Amino acid sequence: MDPQTQMDISNLSEADKKDLSQILQNESQKTTIQQSVHQLSDICFKKCIAGRPITDGALSRSEESCAENCVQRWMDTQTSIITKLQSMR
Amino acid sequence: MSLFGSGSASPVPKSGSDVKAGIVQQLQQESAMNNARLLIEKINENCFDACIPAPGSTMSSQESGCISSCMDKYIQLWNISSKTYISRLGQEQKRMA
Repeated sequence: MDPQTQMDISNLSEADKKDLSQILQNESQKTTIQQSVHQLSDICFKKCIAGRPITDGALSRSEESCAENCVQRWMDTQTSIITKLQSMR
Repeated sequence: MSLFGSGSASPVPKSGSDVKAGIVQQLQQESAMNNARLLIEKINENCFDACIPAPGSTMSSQESGCISSCMDKYIQLWNISSKTYISRLGQEQKRMA
């Protein structure tokens, strides 16, 4: 961080700092969710689209429902892993 | 400090709220950049796999057509993933409450 920016930050009031920290937290949460969506899209594209030749740019109905199911089952998987790990403690 | 050096010669912000707005703007810009970079990376990887099984000396029109369709498909799938994931997160949160 350049000294100019650092000097500027000292101009922030306490209310501004609080505000900024809240915004930062929200942005960070948004980023986490976005990254999960990227990861899920990658996984579900491989499951639902890859392996067959791509003939047009529209998702077929079966590909659409495959994508939805893929996300739901991935989350189920995560839940059951956590549940099992908790029971093993 | 900016990752993608927004070299615009904007006047140096003075007041606290100017500084705040500047930080928030830069944060959001970098976040959007990062989001786009990830999307491009994933599309590149998946559509290269799907459309170019045997790279030739040039890209055929069939291959570039496939890339374009694949990209459309990927973006639609991304939107479905996003919608499904976020609604599931909401359900889980309600269940926990």
